[in-house]
Amino acid sequence: MRSTNRLVSATLTYLVLTLVFLAVMFPVAYTILGSFKGNMELLTKGNRLFPEKFVLDNYVQAWNMANFAKYTWNSIFMAGTIVVGSIFTCTIAGYCFERGHFPFKDFLFLLVVSSMFVNLGSLTLYPQFAIAKVFGINKTLWGVIIIRVLGLNVTNLFVTRSYIRSISREIDESAKVDGCSFFSIYARIIFPLLKPLIATIAILEFRHSWNDYLMPMVFTLSNPNRMPLIVGIMNLKGSGAAASSWNLMLAGSSIALIPMIIVYLIFNRYFIEGLTAGAVKG
Amino acid sequence: MTKKKRITGDSIQAMLMLAPMMIGFIVFTYVPIVLILRYAMYQSNGFREQWIGFENFIRLFTRDTQYWRFVLNTLVLSFGKLLVEIPLALLLAVLMNKGLKATGFYRVTLFLPAIISTAITGLIFSLMFAAFNGIVNGMLMRIGLIAKPVNWFGRQATAMMVLGLASVWNNYGINMIFFLMALQSVPKELYECADIDGITPWKKFLYITMPMIGPTFQAVLLMAIVGSLKVADLILASTNGQPSGGTEVVMTYVFKYFFGYDGRTIEVGYASSMAVVTGILLAIVSFVYIRSTNKLGHSTE
Repeated sequence: MRSTNRLVSATLTYLVLTLVFLAVMFPVAYTILGSFKGNMELLTKGNRLFPEKFVLDNYVQAWNMANFAKYTWNSIFMAGTIVVGSIFTCTIAGYCFERGHFPFKDFLFLLVVSSMFVNLGSLTLYPQFAIAKVFGINKTLWGVIIIRVLGLNVTNLFVTRSYIRSISREIDESAKVDGCSFFSIYARIIFPLLKPLIATIAILEFRHSWNDYLMPMVFTLSNPNRMPLIVGIMNLKGSGAAASSWNLMLAGSSIALIPMIIVYLIFNRYFIEGLTAGAVKG
Repeated sequence: MTKKKRITGDSIQAMLMLAPMMIGFIVFTYVPIVLILRYAMYQSNGFREQWIGFENFIRLFTRDTQYWRFVLNTLVLSFGKLLVEIPLALLLAVLMNKGLKATGFYRVTLFLPAIISTAITGLIFSLMFAAFNGIVNGMLMRIGLIAKPVNWFGRQATAMMVLGLASVWNNYGINMIFFLMALQSVPKELYECADIDGITPWKKFLYITMPMIGPTFQAVLLMAIVGSLKVADLILASTNGQPSGGTEVVMTYVFKYFFGYDGRTIEVGYASSMAVVTGILLAIVSFVYIRSTNKLGHSTE
């Protein structure tokens, strides 16, 4: 009796999870399979998931004619620079706030933390853009990169600070006795110890910058050659040719999706840890 | 012994290391807020500006009925989709917490939509639900559920539904993981005791699980509410506010005034006053929420 009960409950659980799994995977499958359909098929019928005939045409066309080679490069450049830059700024800031002693430390930290509550999201894009204009970085992706890298991600800062807190202070002390300065303790001792954390930061920043839409759009409005993938794809949708460029939109979306999915499948542990760590440890 | 705040070589190094980030942070996080407060007092198209005092706010509160209509849209969309998203996330987390064999597989795959760009999500859903050649209409017709194509984006109600669906798809994963983590931290002994007493599963959920995950639930719900009130790119990437403002939300409306997007004239001053009011509304929602759910958050203490 008890074991039948358990069997029924397990079957039901699997049934629900599998149904949700199928529903959730549908949009992803639709995009990737759709990118192999011919444009005629895409524009005239939409009643099947699998293509009638597999064609690679859409990718060739997107890559050669629709500037997607350039968009992809821009995305790689932007995401790559932000990832590398953030690794340094986040770990340095976390280290300084955790181990440093300097005037106004607590006040500055409070300032950073309270930004979580005055964050208006997309509403501050305009003034950020106006400030970037003052520095002459409003027409390239460098504007986005500098804002993201120097602008400090509060979540990452929290995670780094609590991670460094868990490293024994005795290590720093003995390095200090050996004549290490504050900076060389970071460079030689703390930074190498942060490897698992760096993977988390890198992956979160990659996801954020690769997927970002509004900020890069604003910074490349007048300079279409610098558009990253997401902005380029959306640009197609907004253009007059939107109705006839389904093939390019689907191929473009797949080019944007597939690297992200691969990175996720390889490093999913870090994704899930990272996305939740900030909120829990914070 | 108190630590004297002495300036040593190390503290100078610390300040120098931190300086670029602090400057960048203040310049790109706090200065924009100050600028918004200032712009709000001006009439400006981005190039010429003129001081007009509180005129922008008077316009917003007395003449701009559109803004308030879009506030309502935002609330309907956010709370409508959270009514589906939060229970779904909780249900999946509970099912995965049963310790069945394939849980790892489902945890990885069901979380996948959460890593996908919100803009791409909007695009994919707008293609799937396209009236003429969209796959949803195509499949529904093939199995005979509908006789002719539904124009999903032609009516406010159905357009909102599709947006809600897209948003749930994109966001339930993160909530699910939070709930799962909270569930895993509930001591197993509590359930074992309940089993001995012969408590039904539903009562176990109500009287053990819910109180134990109360604080997480409160925090997750707050993040979900604030996050969905701030949604902009999903709408810009899919309906762009159509049909005739039926799916326009506050964030996209203000965005269009700031950048002259979608054929609107640039009105930086007016957009800023709306940004200020929107920020205050967000703060009020968070405050009311925290006050009214305090019981939930402290139930374990």
